[in-house]
Amino acid sequence: MLTLLRNLRRIRTDVGLPAPTRGRSLAVRHVDAGSCNGCEHELTLAMSPYEDVQRYGFGIVASPRHADVLLVTGTVTTRMREPLLAAYNAMPEPRRVIALGDCALARGVLAADTEIVGPVEALLPVDLRIPGCPPSPPTITQALLELHDAGVTMR
Amino acid sequence: MSYRDRIAAALDEGCRFAGLYANGEIVRSVLVARDGLLRHESVAAEDGRVPTIVDLTPAAAWDEREAADLYGIRFDGHEPLRPLVEHDLDLKTWTVPVHGDDTYQVAVGPIHAGVIESGHFRFHVVGDKILHVDARLFYKHRGLERAAEGQTLAEGRAYVQRACAACAVSNSVAYAHACEELLGLQPDAELARVRTVLLELERAWSHLNDIAAVCAGAGLAAGNTFFAALTERARRLNERLTGHRFLFDSVQVGGSALALDAPAVAAAREELASIAADSKRGWRELLFNGSFQDRLPDIGVVSADDARSLGAVGPAARASGVGDDVRSYSTRLAYHGFVPVAPRRLAGDVQARLEQRAVELLQTFDLLDDLLDRSIGPAEAVAGSGSAAIGLGLVESPRGATLCAVEHADGAVARVHLRTGSYANWPVVAHAAAGNLLPDFPLINKSFELCYACADR
Repeated sequence: MLTLLRNLRRIRTDVGLPAPTRGRSLAVRHVDAGSCNGCEHELTLAMSPYEDVQRYGFGIVASPRHADVLLVTGTVTTRMREPLLAAYNAMPEPRRVIALGDCALARGVLAADTEIVGPVEALLPVDLRIPGCPPSPPTITQALLELHDAGVTMR
Repeated sequence: MSYRDRIAAALDEGCRFAGLYANGEIVRSVLVARDGLLRHESVAAEDGRVPTIVDLTPAAAWDEREAADLYGIRFDGHEPLRPLVEHDLDLKTWTVPVHGDDTYQVAVGPIHAGVIESGHFRFHVVGDKILHVDARLFYKHRGLERAAEGQTLAEGRAYVQRACAACAVSNSVAYAHACEELLGLQPDAELARVRTVLLELERAWSHLNDIAAVCAGAGLAAGNTFFAALTERARRLNERLTGHRFLFDSVQVGGSALALDAPAVAAAREELASIAADSKRGWRELLFNGSFQDRLPDIGVVSADDARSLGAVGPAARASGVGDDVRSYSTRLAYHGFVPVAPRRLAGDVQARLEQRAVELLQTFDLLDDLLDRSIGPAEAVAGSGSAAIGLGLVESPRGATLCAVEHADGAVARVHLRTGSYANWPVVAHAAAGNLLPDFPLINKSFELCYACADR
C-alpha cells in the first residue's frame, strides 16, 4: 500500500499540476446517450493523477438529484431519449447541460437515421459544447472550468 | 445433410461456435476449428423460419435472438425466443419468470451511478441473493451495420471502428482481414507486424484500465489511481505513435501508412518497458494487499464446462480453464509461436479473471518489446490465394475473440456483421452473477469489464 501511495506522490510532484486559485464546486452527472465508449474512457482519466479534475472541486455524482451539470456523451439514440429526459427532469435548478464529444454535437456521426434522435441540443438546452473525438482529459477540465467561471461571473 | 446436422457434425469435430447472422432470408453460422480455420454454414429461411441451433450450442442464444429482432427470422425450437434488441415490448416478454416466497426484482439502469455506459440489468433476488439476471442492453444501438451497407469496403471500416473506442483496433483488423479475404489479399510481413503492434498496444491500455476498474470495484482507491495513471501513460504513447489516444484510423483495408523511424520506435520501447516495470510493482502491491485479495475469490464463479457451453472467450474464458486464444493461430498477424499464458488458478472467479489479465498484460509487454525491434514502414496486402464470396476475420481483442463477417456487391458493403468478445461474454456475466450477493455484482461485472458499445453497435 505504501508503494502505491508513494507512487501517487511521485506522480503529483513530477506532473506539477497548478494548484486551484480559488474555491470551486461543481457536481456533474454523466449520461451516456449512445457513445462509442471513447468519451467515457477519457472522462474517467480526467480523474487520473495526471489531470485530477477533482482538485477544482469538480466531481461525478451518482444521482441527477445532486447534480449541477448534466454531461451527455454520444449521439442520442431513440432508446436513450426517455432516460436522458428523466435524468434532466430530476435535476434541481439552476442546472446546466454539457454536450461532450463530436457525436453529442452531431459532428461526423455514424449511425442509421432511424435509430437516433439527433444531437443533445435536439432535446435539451445545451450550455457548453466540447468538441473532440474524443475530447482529451485536459480539454474536459478546461471546459468545466470555463463553464463554472462563466457561471460565477454571471452571478 | 441438413443445416442442423452440419452444425452438429462440425461441433463434434471440435469446432467452436463463433457467430450467427442473417442476411435477408439467409442465416449463416460461423464456426472456428481447433486449428483456427473459419467456416460458415448457411440456411435459407422458409416462410421466415429456420431451425434453431441453440440446443446444440447455447452460445448461439443471443445471436438468434438478435436475428429474430432485426431480421424477422423465427428460430424453430428456440423457445421461448425472448426479444433482445427490440425494446418496445412488455416486461414479461423479455424477463425470465422467477417464482417463490419473497422473491422480488431490482431494476438497475440504463443510467448507472458512475461514468459507465448505458444498459439495464434486472435482478431477480431473494434478500441479497441473486437468483437470476436479465441483461437488457442495446440502449446504445445505433444501427451501425445497416448504416455501413452501400459504403465502399474502405469506408466501411469507420463503422466497425466506431462501434467501440476500446476495441477500435481489434474491430478494424477483423474487418480488414474479412475484406482482404473477399479481395483475395494477404498482408505482407510488415503489415502483419504493424497490425500486431497496434493490437497489442490496444490490449496494453485496455488491461491496465481493467485492473484499475477491479480496484475501483473493490474500493481500493490507491490501486485504482495507480493503474489509471499507467493507463494514461499508455494512451499518451498511443497518441505519440499514431496521432490518436485510441489508435483511431491506424488500421486500413489493404495496407498501412504508419511510418515510425528507429528513434521513435526505440523511445516507444523504452516507455513500454517503464510502464511494464511499474505494472509489475503495482501488481505486487495488489497481491500482498490482504483486504483487497480477500474480496476476490469464490465470487462470480464460471466453471470450465459452463464457459465452454456458453461460448465464453478471452481472458475470462482462460481463467476458467478454456484455453482458446485466437493469437495461437492468426496466420494474418505476426504472432509466430504464440503460446497463451496458462492461468495460475483455474477457479473461474473474480480473482482468477483479474490474475489472468495481469499475467497476459506482462506477456503483451514482452510481445511489444520483440515486435518493436526496428523501424515501422508503410506496408500493404498482396495478392494471395484467391477471393472468397464471404469474408471472415477473427481477432483476439482484449476481451476475447472478435468476429467480423463481410459480404459485398460490386465493391460495396452488402452486409457487415461484428460479433465482439464483449458480445460473446455478456451472457456469461449474467450466468456468473446468479447465486451471488447483489452487492458483489459490480465487482463481478468489472472482472469481465465488457463494453456495451460494441455489443449494441
